[in-house]
Amino acid sequence: MTAAAQIPAYRIERSTRASRLALVGFVVAVVALLSLPLWDGEDDLGSIVEICYMLALAQCWNLLAGYAGLVSVGQQAFVGIGGYALFAFTILLGVPPIPAVVLAGIAAAVLAFPTALIVFRLRGAYFAIGTWVVAEVFRGVMGQIRALGTGTGMSLPVAISRAVAESRAGREIVLYYTGLAIGIGTVLMVFFWLRSRQGLALTAIRDSETAAGSVGVNNERTKLAVYLIAALATGMIGALIYLEKLRISPDAAFDVIDWTADVIFIVVIGGIGSIEGPFLGALVFFGLRYLLADYGAWYMILLGATAVVIMLRAPRGLWGLLADRFDIQLFPVHRRVRLR
Amino acid sequence: MAPILRLEHVAKSFGALKVIDDLSLAVEAGEALGILGPNGAGKTTLFNLVTGDLRVDAGAIEFDGRDVTALPAHARCRLGIGRTYQIPHPFGAMSVFENVLAGAAFGAGRREAECYDRCIELLVLTDLTRKANQPAGSLTLLERKRLELARALATAPKLLLLDEIAGGLTDSECQALIETVQAVHASGVSIVWIEHIVHALIAVVGRLFVINFGQKLAEGDPRAVMNSPQVQEVYMGIEAE
Repeated sequence: MTAAAQIPAYRIERSTRASRLALVGFVVAVVALLSLPLWDGEDDLGSIVEICYMLALAQCWNLLAGYAGLVSVGQQAFVGIGGYALFAFTILLGVPPIPAVVLAGIAAAVLAFPTALIVFRLRGAYFAIGTWVVAEVFRGVMGQIRALGTGTGMSLPVAISRAVAESRAGREIVLYYTGLAIGIGTVLMVFFWLRSRQGLALTAIRDSETAAGSVGVNNERTKLAVYLIAALATGMIGALIYLEKLRISPDAAFDVIDWTADVIFIVVIGGIGSIEGPFLGALVFFGLRYLLADYGAWYMILLGATAVVIMLRAPRGLWGLLADRFDIQLFPVHRRVRLR
Repeated sequence: MAPILRLEHVAKSFGALKVIDDLSLAVEAGEALGILGPNGAGKTTLFNLVTGDLRVDAGAIEFDGRDVTALPAHARCRLGIGRTYQIPHPFGAMSVFENVLAGAAFGAGRREAECYDRCIELLVLTDLTRKANQPAGSLTLLERKRLELARALATAPKLLLLDEIAGGLTDSECQALIETVQAVHASGVSIVWIEHIVHALIAVVGRLFVINFGQKLAEGDPRAVMNSPQVQEVYMGIEAE
């Protein structure tokens, strides 16, 4: 531009007062969780691991559907692949269990690449159905592999769970810290991604794919990156789940309700397209499950009713409602201009 | 001078409807070209073909001496084609500043912190400084149009495609817009401007190109084109005697 316009003095801020407070809260929570086995014994560890992996699955799905516009209902493919890869690496190749969890994530990401070549040809609802079909194909294939127990599945040999830790209590501690690492790691990964330059691209795609392309954002490559990273994390989570469950079968490992529908519930209720949403959604999901644990089928009915009411009253979820009213962000991914 | 943009026998149909029909067009480097035509003539489709939002059915598009016919939109943007949308497409939940930043960071291919000064400068230019932290979705239509301009300029285009950005402005706002576009042009950016506000167009462009039914109707000096009988008839709805 000729005659450079007068630029006022300015400063770009990332953090807000709410986000600084949230950081303190986050650190306190992490310290409390890390020290939990010391002061709370071992009774709650399993529940916290479950919350961690559901939260991590929700963050991954949110990245896919909430940002990249990839509404997948086939993420159970990568939970199942991760779980089976854990069994294959430990039983068939003799890899120690914890490194096998990481390798299982890599295996899921590797298989996600050819999957992407197929499902990325589809758009919208067709993409959603395509991902589900691919997950069913993986389920069918896993059921054919004799070394992994065919359709009836198999148990992890005692020697391998012993390789995690000798005692049952020791195993729970190791699994607890692995679960924490995956949960916190996923949240931090999503946070730093969204905060970065690439996060700007991803947020732009969320808001308008057309306009994102017109300002030079490579939509397809960004989406592929999201899909592969989500598969990596989901595969690791799947491996962790089945390291804890000790028994795997195709029907359980590729279950669309457990590994995708519940996760979608968490994200949609909490607030799609924000990093805070899945936290709130996980709170609601586990809160409802705890309160309604004794009511059998009523639990599913109330879960569904909650989803319908929130979708009607707050299409951007509970976090959308709060963020609109109070203009807050707990994870400082935005940029604010302060003129001086 | 060599053309910065050249369309060779470009065609595009939506179903049975030929929207662009064997159209050829060249824009010289440093030129400002105005595009006129009645509603539905294919003007916006023409832009979408140039930017890669749509693919041509036939023909070739050359930009800056390079065949870009097969390139996706983001690659054409990075080569230097910037555009505004007639119906604004803001990144609604991102702040106004972040909208412009996305253009500067990806279109101009720079690190984020290197773009801040330019983004603030563009917010000043388009009078959006006070709205910098607001979600772009909360802007009024006219503000959204200014944001379209700021975001397109942030991509550091060699060729800027403007799609009806003057509609709905008051006289003084329109005058300010004309001066802004003139300044952009004077800085060496080639411009193609679709606009119904003819006096604004003529204040900036040196040549007019009139489209009707996806074909060239007339081309040349703005006043001569506006006074030509076929343009009078088709565009102004006046019967030529």
